[in-house]
Amino acid sequence: MTDNTDNFAALMRRSLNGDKRAYAELLQETSRFLRPFLAKRLSFTNEVDDLLQEILLSIHKARHTYDGNRPYKPWVFAIAHFRLQDYLRAHYSDQLRQAIEITEVENNLPENVTETTLSYESISGEIQKLPEKQAMILQLMHQEGYTAKEVAEKMGMNESAVKVAAHRAYKILRETLER
Amino acid sequence: MSDIDELIDKLAQDTAVVKPAPHPFALSAKWMLVAVAYIAISLMVAGVRHDLAIKLHEPWFAVEMLALFGIFFATSVSSALLSFPDIHQMRRAAFAPAISFALFVLAILLAWQADSPPAPLPIHSFECTSMILMLSLLPAVWTIIQMRKYASTHYQWAGSIALLFAFSVGAIWLRLNELNDSIVHVIEWHYLPMIVVGLLGMWLGKIVLKW
Repeated sequence: MTDNTDNFAALMRRSLNGDKRAYAELLQETSRFLRPFLAKRLSFTNEVDDLLQEILLSIHKARHTYDGNRPYKPWVFAIAHFRLQDYLRAHYSDQLRQAIEITEVENNLPENVTETTLSYESISGEIQKLPEKQAMILQLMHQEGYTAKEVAEKMGMNESAVKVAAHRAYKILRETLER
Repeated sequence: MSDIDELIDKLAQDTAVVKPAPHPFALSAKWMLVAVAYIAISLMVAGVRHDLAIKLHEPWFAVEMLALFGIFFATSVSSALLSFPDIHQMRRAAFAPAISFALFVLAILLAWQADSPPAPLPIHSFECTSMILMLSLLPAVWTIIQMRKYASTHYQWAGSIALLFAFSVGAIWLRLNELNDSIVHVIEWHYLPMIVVGLLGMWLGKIVLKW
């Protein structure tokens, strides 16, 4: 089928009259032109597929709001855009929910992250097994005596990120040493 | 067969004859007719202000009523358009309330200026707002129920305009019922609450018009 507005409108009119084949063809064509629109805005193929399915369901649900007497694509894109916004809003709020709240982490940190009951030397073997960045942070803080702020400056990170990395490193070390 | 193909197949099998929604102008006309009937019945029950005939000959009262009816008309058309995902491809018409509100504010300000010496303030105050809200409740519920039959993609905007439409019904009713000449009172207790109602509609639209 050509990318012709009249054809889409005609297909929709036939669909509204109960023509199943016309409706299937219309939805196929719709998903064909919606896919690149979504692919441009989403990172993963599975996200595109999920959202495309949701949009097709929305089109199905709202098909009575299209009478076939005005261009079809603006109607479809209004729904697609609406669902995309919804999806992105939910996606980002979900990410924010899952992100570690720095204040929560800070509450769990010892008063001074540079103070531990064990000496650096006694567990240096375990520290070397940590991810490179975490090991480096612990080395700078515990062997060379830098503060979290100074480590942050030295490593081009922010102070909170250094504290979080140190906290994670302590957790790993604690679990390792408790075994 | 991919998931998309499967879904399309299923939707196509599920489809039957569907009656397209009426044109938004027809919808809006229907909503206005029902609202006018509601105002007429309420006025029959509660009574019309006895000086209405004289008041309608006063230019600023007539202008105010015209502007109020302008809001009633524009919000009704806009609510109907906003019930469609693509605003029925008449985006400009959906902005009609902005113009009618601007004209309304201008009319009210001019009426205020012309109110010299100022008419005495009535002894009541918030009772008018409560009365308008009570009268608007039924039109608000009805309009929202009607809008939910369609598929708004601008639910906050739609909710706000729908509540303003309902509020204008109450405001028209009260202006035709209450024996009051103070424009200051009218601005303060009849029209300023519209701002709160508009904001409330945005919140409500998010809850009740999402689909």
